[in-house]
Amino acid sequence: MSEFAIETEDLNVYYGKNHVIKNMNLKIPKNTVFAIMGPSGCGKSTLLRSFNRLLDLNKIARVQGSVKLFGEEIYSNNTDSIVIRKDVGMVFQYPNPFPHLTIYDNIAIGLKMNKLVKDKNEMDSRIEWSLKKAGLWDEVKDRLEDYPSNLSGGQKQRLVIARAIAMKPKVILMDEPTANIDPVGSKKIEDLIFELKKDYTVVLVTHTPAQAARVSDYVAFIYMGELVETGKTGIIFTSPKSKTTEKYLMGELV
Amino acid sequence: MIKIKSVKMDAFDLITYPAVFFVFLLFLWMLLVYFTNSLPAFQREGLNVYLKNIWIASEIPNKEYYGILAAIWGSLYTSLIALAIALPLSISYSIFVGDYLPRKFKEFMIIVSDIMAGLPTIIYGIWGAFFLVPFIKNWVMDPVYEYLPFISKFSQKPASGFSFLSAGVLLGIMITPFISAVVREAYGMVPHTYREAAYSLGLTKYEATKILMGYIKPAIISGVILGFGRAIGETVAVSLVVGNAFNLSANPFSPGYTISSLIATQYGNSFIYEHMTSVLYAAGLFLFFIGLIINLLGIYLLRRWRKNVSL
Amino acid sequence: MYPFNLRKLKDLLFLVITGILSLLMIIPLLHIIFTVFVEGIGVIIRVGPIFVTGTLSDGGIGPAIAGTFILTFLASIIGIPIAFAVGVYAYEYPDSIIGRATTALLEIMLEFPTILVGLFVTQIIVIPMGTYSAIAGAFSLAIILMPYVAVYTKEAMSQIPFTFREAAFGLGISKIKTVFLIIAPIAKRGILTGLLISIAKVAGETAPLLFTAGGLYQSYPQGITNPVGAIPLLIYTLVQSPSPSDHAMAWGASLVLLLIFLGVFIPLRLSIKEVKL
Repeated sequence: MSEFAIETEDLNVYYGKNHVIKNMNLKIPKNTVFAIMGPSGCGKSTLLRSFNRLLDLNKIARVQGSVKLFGEEIYSNNTDSIVIRKDVGMVFQYPNPFPHLTIYDNIAIGLKMNKLVKDKNEMDSRIEWSLKKAGLWDEVKDRLEDYPSNLSGGQKQRLVIARAIAMKPKVILMDEPTANIDPVGSKKIEDLIFELKKDYTVVLVTHTPAQAARVSDYVAFIYMGELVETGKTGIIFTSPKSKTTEKYLMGELV
Repeated sequence: MIKIKSVKMDAFDLITYPAVFFVFLLFLWMLLVYFTNSLPAFQREGLNVYLKNIWIASEIPNKEYYGILAAIWGSLYTSLIALAIALPLSISYSIFVGDYLPRKFKEFMIIVSDIMAGLPTIIYGIWGAFFLVPFIKNWVMDPVYEYLPFISKFSQKPASGFSFLSAGVLLGIMITPFISAVVREAYGMVPHTYREAAYSLGLTKYEATKILMGYIKPAIISGVILGFGRAIGETVAVSLVVGNAFNLSANPFSPGYTISSLIATQYGNSFIYEHMTSVLYAAGLFLFFIGLIINLLGIYLLRRWRKNVSL
Repeated sequence: MYPFNLRKLKDLLFLVITGILSLLMIIPLLHIIFTVFVEGIGVIIRVGPIFVTGTLSDGGIGPAIAGTFILTFLASIIGIPIAFAVGVYAYEYPDSIIGRATTALLEIMLEFPTILVGLFVTQIIVIPMGTYSAIAGAFSLAIILMPYVAVYTKEAMSQIPFTFREAAFGLGISKIKTVFLIIAPIAKRGILTGLLISIAKVAGETAPLLFTAGGLYQSYPQGITNPVGAIPLLIYTLVQSPSPSDHAMAWGASLVLLLIFLGVFIPLRLSIKEVKL
């Protein structure tokens, strides 16, 4: 088995004629928080969605090259996107628990459809476990049958994280998870990310370098669809090799 | 945007207010006409006009007695059959057109649906009377009586295809494009992030779509309500296939009336009788209120959903 | 692996079922068009041009065609100016109480059973006049036309970017001039298409004419205070006749109506994104 959770090799993504990811070669080590940063529109969200084949939803998106998940190619003909997505959880920019499902069902739905639990008991305990992991259990344990509409943005986002980890994935993709959350909620989520890397590999797309500096072990800087540089967070932030990275970190590229 | 309220009417208001006033007036006037003209029927028979199934048209006014319960029943029954047919079609159509069809075919399907919605209803009527009615008789009713002896024990072999079922099927075909339009719009409005969320949980297309359908359920319900309103108000096509008989029967194969087909077929000669016209206005008033309530409800629910769906 | 395959199977089944049901939804229309053509073309060929010019005794539906055009024309004259003003009002005041009530009323009228309009007009025009008439039929159609025209007008104008208004007001142009001379012309295309679609829609209406227009098929219409026929109304009458030759006439008339409708509707539909019917 590979020592990397995700490896891309000459990965190219096109939206119709637009070349949005260019010759991307990335290696994401296991059990780390790997941040992908770059100005908006640089292709970081697209890159993230190539890791769980969510780009399949986009009719005009075309993927070339290779993405390996723990050494297994996910873009070969005989891989099933559903199996991959079971192993790769995702958290989104907009906290999106299903508004028409209860808090309980929001977590249960993926488990149920994928038959990941045997019975109601196991379901209950799995849901409790995931909510505890997401640090939300104490806040919602008495209202699991409520709809998520009354939760705060930060709570909703933690519910989405619980929904993802309930599936016991190996990798969790996070697409700017704090972009729409208030500072207090953001802090909790950042703490949570830190916790999560013990058990999972977290790939975090962020629009703020500061967040990458706070929570990540490794960082990759993407600009205009290309990988500018990647490495240990401490090193990139203190002595970037590239002028572009330096400019970005100084806040000159938006 | 700040609007400064001016007390003086400007030229714009002088032109538009009378038109708006006229339309409101027209609507109230209509309500008034239905009220005043149905009043004699209520005074004579009370609510029995709606609650009894009886139709005695006599040239001697004393003997006349009317209760339109059978027509009310027929309206509800045929509209429910119509919904039972239209709903699965509309939902399938919305999913298939939205998710599976390539662009070109998609456009084609949408245009076909729009043509169906706009097609003169009398064309559905003639097709219903000359094709659908015999078709249903030969391919549904007769086989059922032949091969399901259990059912034939309870009622007689149907004489013709003019029936609640034929009317319901025809109405179903007619209202499908309306419900489809509502469902398709709603399905298209589902924020992409929920779609991504569903698939990110490792769901199949079927499972993900089921969840998204749950999400647009309020819109589907409004579509159903609006479709019901259309079905219950449809007149000529229904009156050509429903058989026009007073029948308070749950048997889908028996002929019947609907409120609108009752009005369409009886109003023309109602002036011969002393009391029938008023009863028909009472029938109209009933339709008026059902239409009003149903459409208000459908429109309200749809509006609320549209407002809530934005992230 | 077993449950997994079952999921895949369900997925496939889902595709097949939605596909079949979608097809099933449009089959009636295709069959209707096909049947109307097959049944209608025979009588039209047999009778020849007389079919569209002659009276009923000649074997033609000329007076009905004339009636439909007269009714539609009159209905447009009566309905469009009022409806346009209402639509403009609803566009201008989307948030005021009357504005919102107007929009709601229009939506209700759009869905309202058309037979009720017919009976209303019978009571207020036919009975006082003592006769069915073109004007009664046209008024009935006008009531049905109005909400369509108003809603289309409102929506076409709402599509116009707000900055045009700001620009006009910034130049000190009055509200009435801004709306009627600037916004409406910019939205011209949408408004016109909406108008034509609404007219095509009411031209095919039957129920509102049942007890208002009266029907006239043995001679051409005499004037707007006299009864007129209409193609849909004629079809309705002929279908109920026991005679097979009347049925043939009904199919022929249906083909004429269908051709008129498709001829108007399809080009219009192709020119815009969505319709309200």
